[in-house]
Amino acid sequence: MADRFSPDSEPTTRTLLRRVLDTADSRTPRRRRSAQAGSPKTLLETRSSTRRRSQTKTTARQHSHGGRSIGRLAHVRASKNLEEQTPRTLLKNILLTAPESSILMPESVVKPEPALQVVQPSRRESSRGSLQLQLPELEPSTTLAPSLPAPGKRKQKLRLSLFQQEVNQGLPLPQDPAGNADASSLTSSLNLTFATPLQPQSVRRPGLARRPPTRRAVDMGLLLQDLHDNSLALAPPGDSVRAAVATLPTDTVLEDTQPFSQPLVGHSPSVYHSRAHSSHIGTEDSERAAGHRTHSIGPELQNHKLQPWPAASSEVSEAERSKGAVEDNEPEGSIQNEDISGRPASPEMASSTPEFLQAKRSRQFLEPAPTQPDVAVLPPEPKEPVPAKLPLRPRTAGPRRRQDPYKAGLSHYAKLFSFYAKMPIEKKALEMVEKCLDKYFQHLCNDLEVFAGHAGRKTVTLEDLELLMRRQGLVTERISLHVLVERHLPLEYRQLLIPCAFGGNSVFPAQ
Amino acid sequence: MPPSTTVSRRRPVKRKAPRGFLKGVFKRQKPHLRLVSRGDLLVHLNCLLFVQRLAEESRTNACEKKCGIISKDHILAAAKVILKKSKG
Repeated sequence: MADRFSPDSEPTTRTLLRRVLDTADSRTPRRRRSAQAGSPKTLLETRSSTRRRSQTKTTARQHSHGGRSIGRLAHVRASKNLEEQTPRTLLKNILLTAPESSILMPESVVKPEPALQVVQPSRRESSRGSLQLQLPELEPSTTLAPSLPAPGKRKQKLRLSLFQQEVNQGLPLPQDPAGNADASSLTSSLNLTFATPLQPQSVRRPGLARRPPTRRAVDMGLLLQDLHDNSLALAPPGDSVRAAVATLPTDTVLEDTQPFSQPLVGHSPSVYHSRAHSSHIGTEDSERAAGHRTHSIGPELQNHKLQPWPAASSEVSEAERSKGAVEDNEPEGSIQNEDISGRPASPEMASSTPEFLQAKRSRQFLEPAPTQPDVAVLPPEPKEPVPAKLPLRPRTAGPRRRQDPYKAGLSHYAKLFSFYAKMPIEKKALEMVEKCLDKYFQHLCNDLEVFAGHAGRKTVTLEDLELLMRRQGLVTERISLHVLVERHLPLEYRQLLIPCAFGGNSVFPAQ
Repeated sequence: MPPSTTVSRRRPVKRKAPRGFLKGVFKRQKPHLRLVSRGDLLVHLNCLLFVQRLAEESRTNACEKKCGIISKDHILAAAKVILKKSKG
């Protein structure tokens, strides 16, 4: 690392970078990546600031890992630079590369400055690396902020250019790159963006607001076209929206007319899950398709904020087989928002009622308020089912979960039943077996309670269980509990239940 | 020293007991009661024996009726008998 840095007469940026890269490569593959990414970036930076910014932006979006490695690289470089004479250009290049990995462009640019100073290069770099690691982390930013000295004009220029670029792209960026406050604010603002991308993005991206109106028309049309059977085309979206809103904890939908108002889920992955789930649900029920579609669209819209919106939309297109769905979702969301605002009571109802009722309500809702659906006429058919699926998931999340694990456990024993019977069994018979098991569990718990209460205890022990088995006729004078345990339970459980003597005058399990 | 219950080469337990499920069922039914840590294993044993008896009885019923498939009615009749036996 440092050793490799044999001082040359005139270390050029390339050679230095190469050295650093070599040293970085030797450490970890990540560094290699970042180093490699960083080297070309640094070269570019020297050439043009704009290029660098673009690269950094891309890299920043991709990884924080790259940033980490780059941070380390910078650390290495800085240390090496300290050992050698470090031309300003070299350091600046390093500094420029550092921020590339993270979106915290302006900060990173600022960070390298302190590194130049001999005072605490390592600490800053480490903090820088940590900053780069995780954008939302506030701590590193705060530590960095004080250490960051006032950047030079050059950095300010860079930041401004970067800022401008980012603003153009629509990414949220801190306003002033200069100063510690800026850095902290930047990080905080950045953290805000990352932590709650939905809110700031919706505010900062007025351009997106334009989209919904056009999509609304398409959305409604799609619903109408797809819903041959149901006249609910209009109702479900409203219902779904309400239901989604009810289920979703955020109240923003009611207040915010923008289609991208953030619903509760701030993460696109969660949205994806909901989408997959809702889509799955939608496929299952054809009757509720209309309701489901609107439902899915609602949560989709709500869940997707500006930033995740493009990603979500892309995914949606994949999942829904068409990009139009995304468009549909947006207009639906806007429509839904309007509906929601119009009917505050509906969400309450929606949340309390199951899907069927919601679908019914959606129908009712559709009839009285068929306003916007008429506008849309072009909606692609496949889109409807897909968006509907998404909203389903959040609604049925609660009750379904409660039923599934219990059913899963019962079906586990039902399978054992089919194994013990050694004969083919009807499906309905297996359901009957599950019912019997349910009753059996109830009896079991009651008996155990009685036995424990008879012994004056509130904890059911092994003695109570043995007594129960004795009363059931499973444990007799001829067959003891241990015999049964040996016969039917695997070795691991037998070791836990039957006390066995071991060396050293010890018994396990202890009695 | 009491040796640990783990085997030197940890192979997956065959026919595992759904300990979490059993504990949850007991908690849901009797939230004011507690179950000893190893108690759910014996509950699992109890369930196994119950299911075994139920299957045996259903099989007998189906064979008496000369059916090749265990039907719902066979199970219903068998359940009546076995649940009565398991009343304790």
